[in-house]
Amino acid sequence: MSKNKQLALVIDLNVCVGCHACVTSCKEWNTSGSAGPLTDLNAYGANPSGTFFNRVQTFEAGTFPNTQTVHFPKSCLHCEEPPCVPVCPTGASYKRKEDGIVLVDYDKCIGCSYCSWACPYGARELDQERQVMTKCTLCVDRIYSETLPESEKKPACVLACPTSARIFGDVHDPESAASKAIEERGGYALMPEWETQPANHYLPRSIMETIDAARNDK
Amino acid sequence: MRPQFSIIFFTTLAGMAQGLLFFIALSNLYSQATPSAFLTNLALPVAFVLLALGLVASFFHLGHPERAWRAAMMWRTSWLSREVIALPALMVVTIAIYMYALTDQVPQWLWLALLFTTVALWICTAKIYQCIRFIQEWSHPSTLTNFMLLGLTSGLILLELLVALRGNSAAQIIDAPLSLVAFLLLFLSFNLKLWIWRRNRSLKPKSNLATATGIKGNNIRQTSMGLMGGSFNTREFFHHQTDRMIANLRKIILLCAYVIPMILMAYAISTPNIPMITLALLINYLGLLAERWMFFAEANHPQNLYYQRVS
Repeated sequence: MSKNKQLALVIDLNVCVGCHACVTSCKEWNTSGSAGPLTDLNAYGANPSGTFFNRVQTFEAGTFPNTQTVHFPKSCLHCEEPPCVPVCPTGASYKRKEDGIVLVDYDKCIGCSYCSWACPYGARELDQERQVMTKCTLCVDRIYSETLPESEKKPACVLACPTSARIFGDVHDPESAASKAIEERGGYALMPEWETQPANHYLPRSIMETIDAARNDK
Repeated sequence: MRPQFSIIFFTTLAGMAQGLLFFIALSNLYSQATPSAFLTNLALPVAFVLLALGLVASFFHLGHPERAWRAAMMWRTSWLSREVIALPALMVVTIAIYMYALTDQVPQWLWLALLFTTVALWICTAKIYQCIRFIQEWSHPSTLTNFMLLGLTSGLILLELLVALRGNSAAQIIDAPLSLVAFLLLFLSFNLKLWIWRRNRSLKPKSNLATATGIKGNNIRQTSMGLMGGSFNTREFFHHQTDRMIANLRKIILLCAYVIPMILMAYAISTPNIPMITLALLINYLGLLAERWMFFAEANHPQNLYYQRVS
């Protein structure tokens, strides 16, 4: 690991309730911020389609009666070895040295979509109206804002989450809350088989162990 | 993946031009096998027009074609960027050979440069797909071999047609041996395609819902992808066709791209004639369009694991 800062999100699957507050607050901030607009097509029709940086999906596991429902927020993982960056022909996609955020320069992007093919997570979405590739910026315009109060210099999704399922911090700093959560609670990366080294981590549902123990006691 | 018609036309048109230029360069490398008039009046203009059409088609792939020049910037890391340089380079070499052919003296180094740039463009084009390591259907040397063999084949049939159109004036190149080589190339590429399809069928996806979500437990399934009206992710990475359509298209590909042209070429070995070679070229090209469509359609992107259920 490099000594540079690597900002990231750590997502606690124990407490995410799938309310989509992070999705809407992300959209609200970013459509009106420096990354926007995130256009919606046919917004009030039968098949609305829009650009989002963050989605909450739902999965089930197990067999009845031992099943679990897992709400699963999904956004750009800001990989330490981002496969989307070297394939970009224009240099519009880049990873910042100072804090590890992967960004797109919308003025350079030619809309070829090649970077989205090179992302195994489907984290990038081509904006249909602007015809440039868009993705999570970790609210780079919030966290370095000169006007927001200190307590709000966090990604919009983190502030919106009612259950504190999203921890924001520098995963290269062992003292950060994010690093500690990964260290103490077995934080893991998605699709480790492709060696992209995602900076974002997920905290496994330790609650299942408690539930299983309770079931075994009966 | 969603088949992209801009890329389908670009790779097939440029591939045919590359095949044509490759064989012209090869036959003229040591001695002048084609008369200069054949080159300047027919072969080089045809190749150039095909390359230009391919270039135009590729622009339709871009959201911002007016910024296309920027795509040459990242040649150090991006195969797409290298392709953006290799295509105009091939066009420049083709023009240079045209100029020299007007004076009847094409130097050997220029033929070598033509050979080099045609192959370089194939490598760049194929590597764009081959270098994406998690699209397992593409991430294999057969991607490059397939692009090259099919380009060589269609280019050779085109060369044969052009030679036939010029009558006896195309000097040492005559049609019967060309038919034989085209037949052999068709046979080779046919077998390669069957092998690629067998390989694709037996691929074991490295990613699954367990690695994609990290959820502990068996029988993981998605109940909601988090959106209902579709998104870039549901449009770009799926072919949206029925299994039956795909199965029928496979038969069409085998017939049009390989089997029918092989039969026509076999017949042309003994009795070369212009209508038959023209027919072979047209049917082969239609087959190539379908083959390239399928190249995209049969590529499974791991992001699709996250987009399986709407509600």
